[in-house]
Amino acid sequence: MNPLESGLAAVVDPVTLLCLIIGLLVGTLVGVFPGITGSMAVALAAGFTLTLEPVQGLAVLLSIYVGANYGDRIPAILVNTPGTPAAIATTFDGYPMAKQGKAGLALVISALASTVGILVSMVVFIIAAQPVAKLALNFGPPEMFALVVFGLTIMISISSKSIVKGVLAGAVGLTLGTIGRDPITGDQRFTFGINDLSGGLDFIAVIIGLFGIAELFDQLLTHREQKTKPISSLGRWWPNKKEYKEMGKPMALSTGIGIVVGIVPAAGGDIAGLIGWDRARAISKNKDKFGKGSIEGITAADGASSATLGGSLITTMALGIPGDSVMAVMIGSMIIWGLQPGPQLFTNNPDLVVSIAAIMIVATVVSLGISLVRMRGMVKLMDLPNYYIWSAILIFCVVGTYTVTNNMYTVIVMLISGVIGLVMKRTGFPAGPVVLGLLLGPLAEANLRRALLIDGPTIFFTEPISAVMLSLAALAIAVPIIAKVRGARRGKGDPGSLEDRLADRTQREAAESKSER
Amino acid sequence: MTLPRTLKLTGVLAAAALTLTACSSSSPSADGAEEVSAYPEGDITFIVQAAAGGGSDLTSRALASELEKELGVSVIVENRPGASGSTAMQYIADSDPDGYTIGFVPVEISMLAHQGFDIDPANYDFLGQIMLAPGVISVPNDSPFETLDDLVAAGKSGSVTMANSGAGSIWEAAELGLADLTGATVVPVPFDGGGPAVAAVMGNQVDAAVGGTAETAAAHNGGQLRALAVLHDERHPLLPDVETAEELGYDLNFGGWGGVYAPTGLPDDVREALADAIATSAQSDSFVDTITKSGALSVYKTPAEFTDFIDDEYSRFASLLEVK
Repeated sequence: MNPLESGLAAVVDPVTLLCLIIGLLVGTLVGVFPGITGSMAVALAAGFTLTLEPVQGLAVLLSIYVGANYGDRIPAILVNTPGTPAAIATTFDGYPMAKQGKAGLALVISALASTVGILVSMVVFIIAAQPVAKLALNFGPPEMFALVVFGLTIMISISSKSIVKGVLAGAVGLTLGTIGRDPITGDQRFTFGINDLSGGLDFIAVIIGLFGIAELFDQLLTHREQKTKPISSLGRWWPNKKEYKEMGKPMALSTGIGIVVGIVPAAGGDIAGLIGWDRARAISKNKDKFGKGSIEGITAADGASSATLGGSLITTMALGIPGDSVMAVMIGSMIIWGLQPGPQLFTNNPDLVVSIAAIMIVATVVSLGISLVRMRGMVKLMDLPNYYIWSAILIFCVVGTYTVTNNMYTVIVMLISGVIGLVMKRTGFPAGPVVLGLLLGPLAEANLRRALLIDGPTIFFTEPISAVMLSLAALAIAVPIIAKVRGARRGKGDPGSLEDRLADRTQREAAESKSER
Repeated sequence: MTLPRTLKLTGVLAAAALTLTACSSSSPSADGAEEVSAYPEGDITFIVQAAAGGGSDLTSRALASELEKELGVSVIVENRPGASGSTAMQYIADSDPDGYTIGFVPVEISMLAHQGFDIDPANYDFLGQIMLAPGVISVPNDSPFETLDDLVAAGKSGSVTMANSGAGSIWEAAELGLADLTGATVVPVPFDGGGPAVAAVMGNQVDAAVGGTAETAAAHNGGQLRALAVLHDERHPLLPDVETAEELGYDLNFGGWGGVYAPTGLPDDVREALADAIATSAQSDSFVDTITKSGALSVYKTPAEFTDFIDDEYSRFASLLEVK
């Protein structure tokens, strides 16, 4: 038998398929549970799968990886709580869509975009894993720094209402990111003698707090008597022709972004989702809709973050360098099985590479099926009275964040972030930039300082990739500001247009409050 | 339809098994209370300072399943990651010294005190070393440095950049140790983990790196980089063609070792029972097999030897890390 046949035969084996289904069920469950990430589930499952045959074990681990990627979109869309960091950008348009009574549509679009993202990235894995993986090695500290700076410019676009408030929130996030040990010298910064702080703020706890818990507190305090259920009154599930068409452009763009970001070793679905969303917004004709329930926005966010799966797999299998945290665990397991990921894998175990690709593809297609069937049930849950829903979410969030470290400190960080998130919500400060600063700030700092240690400041301009990306970042900051300043000047010169805009704004606010009610 | 039923059945079986274990572990305490060497009577919690899925976690889980066979009770691995491992160390120090809370002790226990953490090895009872993962110096494939001598010479005439797995890590200490021993100018470049550090060498972004055997050996044998020296007193089975630093004339021994510890003040009988179980488990075939595959060496030291060894390491790192 040739490697293709034997690789596929290993996957269609009934035991392997059973493993795959078990992995998918675990994965989707884990994804829905805020705080428990795919990497935790894979790490814990790895203890059990070591006793299985490699292909069966990989079927469990890879399908948890895929399943979690689908599961974490559900709480992001329905209750504004990203199941894992990869779904941060999903909340930007997913939750507004749900509030507008389009939860069903949002869930279906999210599942379709995720599926296309993974499948396309797997095609790249099959055709060109080894040549493409070389790209990962070109991403040294200066390139990573440039990528992250580019990512930070998204602060401007996710603070559409007020750039000043957005940038201020982003600065707070960057400041919070400096808490913990200095990435280069190891000195403690802003830890105030609290030992737990020397590891930095737990990122997952902060996002769950700022998004989910803040929303929950907000609803508790608002305490609206009239029971409207916009989220469960969904009407339509499937996109219509026009909406499919809308999805095309952001889908293509975000998949490409997702694959590239996935290949870069230290960057994963969270960064990809944000960049994908931002770039889709930049090329869109309907920029204003982004962040308010845009179909293009949710397509781009989920397409990009899902396409990182294939990208990470390329780096992991073709270079032996973990493409993300799940893949780090995967490498550990494979080594115990006596399979060394790296260039040798493709020559020594070509059948296994085929099996891996087949498992990923089957898991993705089955996940899509499960998602489409299960969604109706999930959304029905939203019919329950609010007090059941929100107390269940609170319990899930507390348990989820506690299991990250087995330490109450993480739960406290989450609850404090929740209170801060609530205050920000009430005062009109966006939470997105804080998370962005906290996520990307430490990466930017560490890579900047590494690059400076290696070669001094000129390195950013002599390396082509970083030079191009830094220029793009400069443009991304300058263009909207110039546009805004120009717009404001024009506004001053022409009182009519100012009035128009004011009228427009009142109308929009009225529409928003209507949809919230 | 059969699938959910199978799953349900598995669930019921698992629940039944759990109940049985719970019953069986709680019953001896009722009648065997007056016996002196009743330990262990209940479940033992095994604390790991790193998240699930890493090397420390893998080693701990492999050891825990052997300890269960030796002691006849459940040994539950609990991950308490955070603050460079000091969260777990503090947790152990604050636990009751009754033998029911033990943990995996990494090399960092002898380093953190010199890096501003309130961690003192005197607060612990060390129950035995179980493994050692030696460091390896490597350079990019097309590097002009063919030998360790070349690298050192370059560091003496100018400076060399060397990637490592993180600020304050054992591999950064090894780089400082190389500089200290030879007088070469080494610029340590900390990365976020061993994988990225080795990737930096493969991508030719730094002059060299010190990394663990697991990540370096695969890349060396796959022709993605060149290992120059193993920082251990004998050659590593995964890198049979790579000389040790000692063979090359450098007295450099750096490794990520690990063992088992408990809060200080264990009763003597408990300490003996644990030390015996750890000695047998750490040298069992299945434990040795698991850690060897992941690039570590099976190195066992008795509680007394291990305690002395940690004292030596503690004072060695004091001079290396605090000068910096």
